[in-house]
Amino acid sequence: MKTKNYLILCAGITASLVLCLLYLPGFGDTVEQLMLGFLAANAR
Amino acid sequence: MRALRIVLQILGIIILLPAVTILTLRVDNQDADGPSILFPGGKLVSGDLHSGPEPDWSFTDDIPVIELQLVNPMSSRRIFIMESEGKIYIPSGYMRSTLGRIWKDWAFQADEGDGLAVARFGGVRYERQLIRIKEGPVLDGIVAKMSSKYGPGATREAVEAGDVWIFEMAPRKI
Repeated sequence: MKTKNYLILCAGITASLVLCLLYLPGFGDTVEQLMLGFLAANAR
Repeated sequence: MRALRIVLQILGIIILLPAVTILTLRVDNQDADGPSILFPGGKLVSGDLHSGPEPDWSFTDDIPVIELQLVNPMSSRRIFIMESEGKIYIPSGYMRSTLGRIWKDWAFQADEGDGLAVARFGGVRYERQLIRIKEGPVLDGIVAKMSSKYGPGATREAVEAGDVWIFEMAPRKI
């Protein structure tokens, strides 16, 4: 993939992810629960 | 060369996803009235401020997590709570691991700073003083409560070794 297209893809992914985290009900909480589980399992 | 480029591009996206997620959730919650599940929040604003004599803290046995805000630096997080012998305590685990040191930075701040805190549970805010308990027989009752309430894991030895930190949430003297 050319650099220009790659950067457009990254920008699209970033924008989509931010919007989902901020406005999709329950999505942010689910992600946080998964991160909490990861930390609890790996922070030993 | 082309294969390397593809690998690097995939690696970039793999790094991008958690970075954007962490940054978004952290920034979104930093000024909120209380913490989210994982990320610190801002000042605890809502809820009545408790005044008067110390309550019977045994009701905290039915409360899985509380919201705790340090005064300096001002940020809040969710945390376990244990009642033992009429006093209330909060734990901070994973304190000797690298990830734990990053995750539980509040405990270092409370231990090294003034320890002033505000706890909120049951819709009431309580002004407290965090005092780290490093050793002593009082730990037996605290870890027993912690084990019965949250599952086995913490031991008095782990606390005295510094793996788990325990703070008493004492009433403020000032």
